[in-house]
Amino acid sequence: MSEEILTVENLKKYFVTKQGTVRAVDSVSFSVKQGETCGLVGESGSGKTTIAHTLVGIYEPTEGKAFFKGQNISKVFSQRPKTLKKEIRIVFQDPGSSLNPRRSIKQILELPLKVHRICSNSDRMGRVMQLLRMVELPPEDYMYKSPQVIGGGEKQMVAIARALAPNPSFVVLDEPTSALDVSVQAKIINLLMKLQQNFNLTYLFITHDLSLMRNVASRVVIMYLGKISEVAPTVEFFQNPLHPYTKMLLSSIPAVSDEEESLKPKEVLSRGEIPSPVNVPPGCSFHLRCPQKMEICSQVDPTMVEVEKDHLVRCHLFSDGREAT
Amino acid sequence: MTPLLEIKNLHVRFKIYEGELKVLNGVDMVIGEGEKVGLVGETGCGKTTTIKSVLRVLPTPPARISGGEIIYRGKDILKMKSAEIRSLRRGEMSAIFQDPLAALNPVFTVGHQLQDVIKYSSRVGGREHLSKKEIRARSIAVLKETGMPDSERILSNYPIQLSGGMRQRVCISEALSAAARLLMADEPTTNLDVTIQAQILRQLNELVAKRKPSILLISHSLGVVRNLTERVYVMYAGNMVEVARTKDLFADPLHPYAKALLKSVPKLTGEGISRGIRGRIPNYLNPPSGCRFHPRCDHAMPICEKERPTFFTTGDSDSHKVACFLYRR
Repeated sequence: MSEEILTVENLKKYFVTKQGTVRAVDSVSFSVKQGETCGLVGESGSGKTTIAHTLVGIYEPTEGKAFFKGQNISKVFSQRPKTLKKEIRIVFQDPGSSLNPRRSIKQILELPLKVHRICSNSDRMGRVMQLLRMVELPPEDYMYKSPQVIGGGEKQMVAIARALAPNPSFVVLDEPTSALDVSVQAKIINLLMKLQQNFNLTYLFITHDLSLMRNVASRVVIMYLGKISEVAPTVEFFQNPLHPYTKMLLSSIPAVSDEEESLKPKEVLSRGEIPSPVNVPPGCSFHLRCPQKMEICSQVDPTMVEVEKDHLVRCHLFSDGREAT
Repeated sequence: MTPLLEIKNLHVRFKIYEGELKVLNGVDMVIGEGEKVGLVGETGCGKTTTIKSVLRVLPTPPARISGGEIIYRGKDILKMKSAEIRSLRRGEMSAIFQDPLAALNPVFTVGHQLQDVIKYSSRVGGREHLSKKEIRARSIAVLKETGMPDSERILSNYPIQLSGGMRQRVCISEALSAAARLLMADEPTTNLDVTIQAQILRQLNELVAKRKPSILLISHSLGVVRNLTERVYVMYAGNMVEVARTKDLFADPLHPYAKALLKSVPKLTGEGISRGIRGRIPNYLNPPSGCRFHPRCDHAMPICEKERPTFFTTGDSDSHKVACFLYRR
């Protein structure tokens, strides 16, 4: 269970633009264990999607390495061996634009089966039906429909079926439910959890919704401006958040019940906006918005420290081994 | 509390090639003077259509208001002349829409648009005639009120040069500088990050406390509604299914739809996630007869298919009403 399936070491992805270099992902290291759901949380512009895209090979990392089952995967899609593409799959955020509107759902699901030679031509039809049944869509009703005529939730189900078609072991879920209603979201999350158990999948679950993360992930990685600010097991994380940014995030969640309200850290008023990743402020990138700013924060970039077992935080408040207050 | 706005049995239909979409199916709603009201429901429930009908900005055709009344301070908005409704929009009610980038004109500067709003809304009823300098000063002041940093510079920026949170602040400033009585916010924070959302909501709350307009907050984020409103309407497929004080609704939802919706929200307490609501929003071309929720309802009875439930009062107070036959006495 605790075997590490994916390790990311010092991953950097810079984009060169006219305005300057955008450090979308800047020295990120983390690992994902076999069979777990690793949650990657951050606001927009924090580099979550860039990490996802780098892992599946849409981007080539500027620096650093990523290993999947010991194999170096820091290469672009065209240079990857086919077996790797089969193992690592992705579900995108917007199902409306990730499914080809001119193909029927059957054609969409057939493509990965053909490319990876999952089954013989005669079995393919059966496999497509099986995939649709797996995501709880009756095959007779959906097979010949175009993605345009079905609802957002159903589209996302098809996208999940497509990702799972070649029996992957690792799936990157890039905000799979952020465009959907809560009732549909609940359905999809349930399905994803069930599939994870049935097929022993490992998820990298990207979202900006911390309350959702609380319910799906076993470990949480918080990102801010291309860097990781805190890593912790979920339960520990929500009981004892350490980084000031994490506290700000948690206290910003609109809660729906009093019990939830009591779980939030004392009101940390959120202020300021995410600075542009073109000019990341010197020192700790969060110091402009931080309520507990110290002098050192604007000069030196903090490093990761392990405060408790498996609970890492990148903040000067903890860098000299001081206890959490 | 005297009602400021009263929607009675509003029906709105949209004409399309295949026929007519029966979207709003008898919506009833009351907003009191100075009251903060929330409206929640899934996508496609007709929330936005409701406020567009109130502002009379629905495109007709294809839309058609086929019945009902919208009474604003004793007068029916649907029967007003266009000059009257225009002066209402300028001086009394305004809306913040979901997507600030679509709401702002990309070819004019923020200052230009904001100053236009101030110029025309201040002229309503010959209230006052502001000089250019005064308008500019007021636009800077209203931007500052929403917590916009560096508001003088922002005035000469175009909307694309601003971030999402800043754009939404510009929209809020515009709405606030026009609205004296009724502010309708249609998912004002859906596109924003949680920390920015918290800021915007806090500022909105402060401004509302200071200026005391009535507010109608539409959102599918239940947490946002809970933090900002006093009373909530739950809408499903063009019908109001439940209304209660915010505190009562979140503590004890009655309608099966409201219950399921609340259960679907992921909680920080980490109790897992419910199964969601089966099925999806009905096709408005042929909506289900009777209660529109009955095909998805776990408690459906034979009567639900035949008759449309009216509001039944429950509990000890009159304020908690639910449109479901389970609560008929």
